[in-house]
Amino acid sequence: MAKFLKDINLKGKVAIVTGATKGIGRSTAMAMHQVGASIIAIGRNINELASLKKKLKIRIQCIECDLNDYEKISREINKIKRIDILVNNAGTNLPEPFLKVKKSSLEILLDINTKAAFNMAKLCTDKMLKLKSRKKIGGSIIHTSSMFGLVAGPNRSVYSMTKFGIEGLTKGMAVDLAKFNIRVNSVCPTFVATPRAKKYLANKQFNKYALSNIPLGRIATESDVATAITYLSSDASSMITGSSIIIDGGWTAK
Amino acid sequence: MFKKIDLRNKTALITGAGKGLGKASAIALAEAGAKVIIISRTLSDLTKVEKLIKKTKGSCLKFECDVTNLDQFKDILKKIKRLDILVNNAGNNRPEHFTKVKKENMEYLVELNMKAAFNVAQMCSQKMVELKSRKKIGGSIINMSSQLGRVGAPIRSVYNMTKFGLEGLTRGMALELGKYNIRVNTVCPTFVETPMVKAFFKNKKFKQQVLESIPLGRVAQENDVSTAVAFLAANSSNSITGTSFMVDGGWTAK
Repeated sequence: MAKFLKDINLKGKVAIVTGATKGIGRSTAMAMHQVGASIIAIGRNINELASLKKKLKIRIQCIECDLNDYEKISREINKIKRIDILVNNAGTNLPEPFLKVKKSSLEILLDINTKAAFNMAKLCTDKMLKLKSRKKIGGSIIHTSSMFGLVAGPNRSVYSMTKFGIEGLTKGMAVDLAKFNIRVNSVCPTFVATPRAKKYLANKQFNKYALSNIPLGRIATESDVATAITYLSSDASSMITGSSIIIDGGWTAK
Repeated sequence: MFKKIDLRNKTALITGAGKGLGKASAIALAEAGAKVIIISRTLSDLTKVEKLIKKTKGSCLKFECDVTNLDQFKDILKKIKRLDILVNNAGNNRPEHFTKVKKENMEYLVELNMKAAFNVAQMCSQKMVELKSRKKIGGSIINMSSQLGRVGAPIRSVYNMTKFGLEGLTRGMALELGKYNIRVNTVCPTFVETPMVKAFFKNKKFKQQVLESIPLGRVAQENDVSTAVAFLAANSSNSITGTSFMVDGGWTAK
């Protein structure tokens, strides 16, 4: 009898994780490794990459690269033999009220959250398609989006612009890549206990704002997000494409 | 870091468990270790499902019940000690052109897909919150929706109405049950190879139209959906509530 509970298993798969040194990227690299994937971790900080490697106690390939450096990243991707999964996670946020958004902040966010994410997705897709058996074995791309890819929040106009953009890119890519059996989805977390969000949440007023907007009354954990990404990367989700897994404790259900 | 789909020590009730997605979900939850309570109008179907569940060494209780019969369902809940998970799955479809929808068909679908779904959800939630430690251990309700809970389709106006309704109910329930740590989500499949859909597919033209509308170019399998149900039932999805898992091969991404 066919099993009705599909196994979440990444044995034999090669997964690239960007922004792998901290937060969601780091936890995802660890979760995917736990279920058998070979991990290629990309980050800007060689020391943090080394610490991830040590923590995982396995051979993972680490690439120190700023994703804004298109030439370098394209050279690095070219060197990789095979890619089955991309966790397109690198991104940042510079919260400012709309009226006070600095030109430099806008450019930083558009560069990393939008342009670099697009370029990375395209470079990795090109590589995925090199494998002749791709249609048979499938591929999976997961964008780290945000609940702010679905709704707005104060001081987040630029962030929302970039993340709504990622939601659009996810659907567009899913439609174009379905014929190659490459699935494309996003995860949309609420505030997660990452180093970056912990800084925001240290502000009492902000903490109250966050918790009072989450019906479950708690922020998400890195492992909540890493688990959803791992599920989307595996064949357990083989009919899920062009969609978003919303990990927001009910924030956007309101 | 990766949260396995583990339902040991959980009790799950599945309606419409005699066939199709209900049957698949019941077996998947049993495979993940849950004690399952299966409900259907047809005892002979339940007996077959029970046998399959016993084969997986799972534990199973069966009750013959029409979920539109409130009193009968209430009696079943009285016989149950504890409930952690509800798969609110019983439902049907009677495709007709909007201008030709028969009054009795509209009433039948509203009665089953909406009213019974609401009543079952309400009674099961009441049962769930009886447990003192509910807030600590959590609970999960999965309403079986459809991609047609998100987009329209020909000769599906009544089905659309009922499934869009279920999407609304899910969000409302998620907000109110968050404080008890009971999560409420839907699964929205595209056409799945179930007995119901196989009958529709005898019409070759219809089948072709369906496959052309699914970017991945294939219909879903029962275990694609039952795996998503199990993921939402388990603590793997701890921070996910008030959302919809699209298992639609990209249908709604277009």
